[in-house]
Amino acid sequence: MQERVQKDHVARRSSELGASSRENLRFVVTDRRFYSILFAAAGLLSLLPLGLGVYHLHVMIVSLFYVMMASSWNLLAGYTGQVSFAHAAFAGIGAYTSGILAVKFGVNPWLGVMLGTVLAGLFGLGMGVLCLRMGGIYLSLTTLGFSEILRIIITNEYEITRGTMGLQVPGLVAEYSKVAYFYIMLGGTMVTLMVLYKLIYSNIGLNFRAVQNDERAAASLGVDVVRMRVLAFTVSSALAGMAGALFGHYLLLITPEIPSLSQQFLILSMTVIGGMGSFLGPIVGAFSLEIFAEYIRAYGEYHVLVFGLVALVVARLAPKGLMGIAEPYLQDRFKPARTAAAASG
Amino acid sequence: MFAMAAMNGLVIGAIYALAALGVSLVVGIMNVINFAHGELYILAGYFSYLFAGVLGLNFVLAMILAVALVFLLGVLIEYLLIRPTYGNDMYSLILTFILSIVLQNAYLLIFGPYPNKPPNWVGGSTEFFGSFFYGNQRLAALIAGSAVIALVFLIVKKTWFGRIIRATSQDREMAELNGVNTTRLNMLSFGLGCALAAAAGVILSPIFPVTPTAGVPVALTAFVVVVLGGMGSLWGCVIGGLILGLVENLGAAFISTGYKHVFNFVILILVLLTRPAGLFGRREA
Amino acid sequence: MILLEGRGLCKRFGGVVALDQVSFTVDERTIVALIGPNGAGKTTLFNLVAGAQKPDSGQILFAGEEITGMPANVTCRLGLARTFQVTRPFATMTCLENVGVAVVNSPRSGNSGNWLPAAHEYLKIVGLGDLAHSEARHLNVVQKKRLEIARALATRPKLLMLDEVLGGLNSHEIVQAVNFIRRLRDEHHLTVFWIEHVMGAVMQAAEKIIVLDQGRHLMEGPPEQVVKDPRVIHAYLGD
Repeated sequence: MQERVQKDHVARRSSELGASSRENLRFVVTDRRFYSILFAAAGLLSLLPLGLGVYHLHVMIVSLFYVMMASSWNLLAGYTGQVSFAHAAFAGIGAYTSGILAVKFGVNPWLGVMLGTVLAGLFGLGMGVLCLRMGGIYLSLTTLGFSEILRIIITNEYEITRGTMGLQVPGLVAEYSKVAYFYIMLGGTMVTLMVLYKLIYSNIGLNFRAVQNDERAAASLGVDVVRMRVLAFTVSSALAGMAGALFGHYLLLITPEIPSLSQQFLILSMTVIGGMGSFLGPIVGAFSLEIFAEYIRAYGEYHVLVFGLVALVVARLAPKGLMGIAEPYLQDRFKPARTAAAASG
Repeated sequence: MFAMAAMNGLVIGAIYALAALGVSLVVGIMNVINFAHGELYILAGYFSYLFAGVLGLNFVLAMILAVALVFLLGVLIEYLLIRPTYGNDMYSLILTFILSIVLQNAYLLIFGPYPNKPPNWVGGSTEFFGSFFYGNQRLAALIAGSAVIALVFLIVKKTWFGRIIRATSQDREMAELNGVNTTRLNMLSFGLGCALAAAAGVILSPIFPVTPTAGVPVALTAFVVVVLGGMGSLWGCVIGGLILGLVENLGAAFISTGYKHVFNFVILILVLLTRPAGLFGRREA
Repeated sequence: MILLEGRGLCKRFGGVVALDQVSFTVDERTIVALIGPNGAGKTTLFNLVAGAQKPDSGQILFAGEEITGMPANVTCRLGLARTFQVTRPFATMTCLENVGVAVVNSPRSGNSGNWLPAAHEYLKIVGLGDLAHSEARHLNVVQKKRLEIARALATRPKLLMLDEVLGGLNSHEIVQAVNFIRRLRDEHHLTVFWIEHVMGAVMQAAEKIIVLDQGRHLMEGPPEQVVKDPRVIHAYLGD
């Protein structure tokens, strides 16, 4: 008798709570959960060198580079709606700064990476301020213009950059070792993800996500939208610069390919396919697409075309990307027991 | 030297203006920037090469066929890719960006990386002011380009269809309320925009052979022209195109050829900073 | 004491005059309603005061200080909160996070580090305590309105500007809402500036009613006076 009364009570409360109260409880992100997942994943990944050969390690290193680039671009395009085409260019700034300092002035590459990061961040700050009064398309065009100007300058200033031949640069470790670089890139990726996490899920993160959802409403609650957009530009550019510098020292050769539009295309595709505006999206997109690209490399010259077609189809049919498709299934997993009881009661 | 560069500037400028008209039309009606604009320009060039060069068709017929095919392709693209994105500018930008890369790689695969050139319409050259000779093909291109531009002006300003375009660009909702079928208009306009790119392509390809990636700088310059001239202004496209063509060629001649395209981007950024409405654009309320 | 004052405010959109030389005052710790037929310029006035738009001419003073043309986030920090006629929740964020945004950005919040307790409090005040962890997009219309108010309150404003909050509520809910608004003035010492179409509520709660018509200040006064004024009746009913 008492059991039935209780069940009725629960059922009535549920209906009072508004439409679909059962589906709307979601996975709450906490510091502890994030860091434990991050370090667990990193721990698993760090076991890879034991089993993987040199080629596969290379693929992983490249994937990690793209995880860094896609995630930092997502901060800009996914969270603050600024679709920048200059992200690869900022990686180029980081790479060339570090490379040129090492080659021309004998600067230690580790220091070079840090300086490259800072310089890329400064350029990003400038870019952000420049683009403040511009709406979507104009902003994209401006970043496109900036990216092309940079590439042309790099290609032309042969004396300093060795143009399209590429600049040969020293590595980050005395003895070249894919394993060492794997750990370095893994470290860089973790730093990137931790910075992004802090930014997106902290108090500042509330502001970011508010701006992402509704700029006007955010402003009406005191959010300085301008500062958020410039901050996003600065941080994402610095992270791109770091990724570019690390990658450059891994490749031992820095070419205008790094700041090119084709790289930008890859980064954009990975983020869009993975899921723009979600934290996991770019990570999923970068890993899956890079591995996918390696598979279709077997088809020879067709691989970029296939890649592009896949990107086009996914972007057109699933605008929220893979994460968007997976979301309903993930939601189900986190329904707590009490509402499940109410549903069956 | 100066005169030669200036002539080149005019020729290229006319073509830029033509390509920009295509962009401006689509932006004005649909508020969409087609990133693959350059690739459609190049496609027309490839078609022109195929029909006139390989198949040996009469060059006028080849050009008309090329433009018609690209027009149809444009309509298809609008239907498949652009229509679902209505209202979301960033989404269409992303989709057309991906499309442009796909097309570039498709061309690479189908036509190979080496330049292809349709045959010239006219040979020889003409003497100018007794001081230099200028290629007749280039002169023909200038005349053809100007003719098409004049045609576009005629259609937009004088015909009933042009009136619909102008009305919808200014106020879409009003136009819809007055019975304009905006869905079909979108499709036609997008196709026309691509057709204008194609026209620019067939006119210029005998002079500058086509390669898979040659469309990129053309598209970028077309965007700059539209920004410089002002979105929604036809005269802006013409004046902007001529200015950029001249700046590019004079700059290449007297300052540096390597940095030729940088001037365009510097102008773009300056305009966006100081006067985003462009030379003749409508000021935002 | 006057908390909010507008002097000679004008705003045009293209050829349309939205506001024409509108002046008004709102006294501290009062409930002042802003009414008028559709298109009178009410929301435009709100937008100018809150900073979402800039007036073409005229001045706005808040607590004696000029705030004309200041952007929305600045006026919010000065103590002006507003709700939107069509609610604008942060769809992918939880109710708690929605309110959290307001808490972390308010200079009057005090403990800026941990915003959770304050956010919970404000949700409870509007009766959304149980939905703290629900995503805003899953709320129904009435719940979204409550969330909107919770957010505005969480900025700890001196002046609360409500834009048609009663729309869509049944008579029971309206009574609850009006009592709630009265409590805001009496217990929380807020000043309320309120656009509303539901006349019954306005008559009960407002101490002063300002009437706008076609962008002009038509008249203002206590409810009994406004409701009898022939100009007001004419504006609403026509000839």
